[in-house]
Amino acid sequence: MPDGSLNDRGIAALVEPGRVHRRAYTDPVVFELEMQRLFGRAWLYVGHATQVPKPGDFITTDLGRQPVLMTRHHDGSVRVVLNRCTHRGVKLVAERQGNRQRIVCLYHGWTFDPAGTLLRVPVDEGCAPGFKLCDFNLATAPRVGIYRGFVFASLSPRGIAFDDWIGPMKQNIDDIVDRAPGGEIALDAGVHRYLVRANWKMQAENAVDSYHVPFSHASTVNQKGVQFSRREGDNEGAKVVDGQRTAPQWKQRRSYSVGHGHCWTSNTELKESERSSAVYDEYRLTLEAAVGKDRADWILTPRMHNSLLYPNVSFMGLNMHIRVIKPLAVDLTEVNIYPVRLVGAPESMNVRNTRLLNVTHAAASFVQSDDLEAFARAQAGLQSLQTDWVDISRGLGREEPIDPPGAQRQMATDELVVRGQFRAWLDYMTEA
Amino acid sequence: MAGEYEQFLIHESRLLDERRFTDWMALFTEDGSYWVPATVGQRTPFGQTSLFYDDMELMRTRIDRLGHPLIHVQTPPSTTVHLVGSVIVEPGVPEPQPDIGLPPSEVLVHSSAITAEFRLDQQRLFVGRQSHWLRRVDGRLRIVRKRVDLVNCEGAFEAIAVPV
Repeated sequence: MPDGSLNDRGIAALVEPGRVHRRAYTDPVVFELEMQRLFGRAWLYVGHATQVPKPGDFITTDLGRQPVLMTRHHDGSVRVVLNRCTHRGVKLVAERQGNRQRIVCLYHGWTFDPAGTLLRVPVDEGCAPGFKLCDFNLATAPRVGIYRGFVFASLSPRGIAFDDWIGPMKQNIDDIVDRAPGGEIALDAGVHRYLVRANWKMQAENAVDSYHVPFSHASTVNQKGVQFSRREGDNEGAKVVDGQRTAPQWKQRRSYSVGHGHCWTSNTELKESERSSAVYDEYRLTLEAAVGKDRADWILTPRMHNSLLYPNVSFMGLNMHIRVIKPLAVDLTEVNIYPVRLVGAPESMNVRNTRLLNVTHAAASFVQSDDLEAFARAQAGLQSLQTDWVDISRGLGREEPIDPPGAQRQMATDELVVRGQFRAWLDYMTEA
Repeated sequence: MAGEYEQFLIHESRLLDERRFTDWMALFTEDGSYWVPATVGQRTPFGQTSLFYDDMELMRTRIDRLGHPLIHVQTPPSTTVHLVGSVIVEPGVPEPQPDIGLPPSEVLVHSSAITAEFRLDQQRLFVGRQSHWLRRVDGRLRIVRKRVDLVNCEGAFEAIAVPV
């Protein structure tokens, strides 16, 4: 049993092979440690380069709870700087996005360039002896990595190299980005923002949970046990329920745990040969013209349903979007969903994808709203002190080793991916 | 005239408050739509996120789901009260705007609405400006488009299950 203190041994005692202590989800002390040890040093998703196309463009976001700016500097590079004036600590920029060639603090007018370099301070005759502008540049993320326009940052100078961290998940990003005829996507079609009264890990686990669908999403399934169509060109969605049971087709899905907490699930077999609509056919022809028929066939054959780049971003191939998880408190999380726009695809295809995403992942959607209810109720249920443990043992001992070494696969209705996340969680949380 | 439109808007909001969703849906024309933008002053529902953008097919799916016994986010259901006011009729006949999915209509009525929703010991408010594009079908007013611009449309929302 974990004791009240949270030294490394106390943290380690929260996770056992097939179960997790409730405090991992409910204890504010654990949450504070997560902000320092996990979100304070892991590679975190920041944004996409297309959100800052021109010099001076910025978006604001938070890494853990730390406010940051992602900017496009005058030299064309993307920068991640802390949104905190080096003078008196004021958050420099409040808007979600915009363009500023000079970032001027509203309080005393300290002025920075988009890379965070301090350019001037008003009333410079008042500066203390030895005051140097260059000592007061904005703090920057010690490490930044970019893959196919997706910008990640670590707030720690040490830790796993970006290429090693993202390596096993590149295929999940490629899976979406390659669907654009020119191989480029843009995140410029707005955002769905929702709030969950639950711990952030509920959303991280749920993104790759195939066990919940027949039950949580029962209200989206018709009398034949088939979900509504979620892709352009399909007449109907996946077979989820067969009679009163989870459908055999659904059980064909596999989940993959590939280290560092990363994981993904394979797609359900949909009727690929029948997928057709005016919009989809035009899009397919555009893609074939750009990359050739064989390559287009390969790109459009679904292999990946949803993935998690641990800890804070999910790439979803079925309803194309990027899902960013923002922990606000131990029991409060914001989730931001960005539709993926396929650059070079017919506008009609992007319009259809955005509409489908309204239906599946807006706060008022048919799918996500029942998930949010499940997360909030899990958080409420975990207030019970009579049962300490959360069970994550499904499939324990039946993991199938795959490449690369250490990676594993199993039935997607099992809980391999949750255990994989908690292995990474322990590594971050107990590493000195 | 304005009185008739006001009565119509009050009737519409009462149907929502009484959870008569199928009757509410029947107020729309077959080419009708219900739109709640996700950004202030959003120009189009196409190619951009919206909180709601339902044509009649999608609305039927939504309303069917609201009647499903296993819709967890409405178990227990929420109760709502709409207050509609500040009704004003735009002069002239509105232009159809095919590029944003707006078919021909006869009149555009603006109003403000406050909706209180209570569920699971929590109350929240939806406050917004409404625009109703209306036309008569068989002598009865019908909604060609309902647009609701919530004051907090750019904010983060907890799950929304019933039309606002």
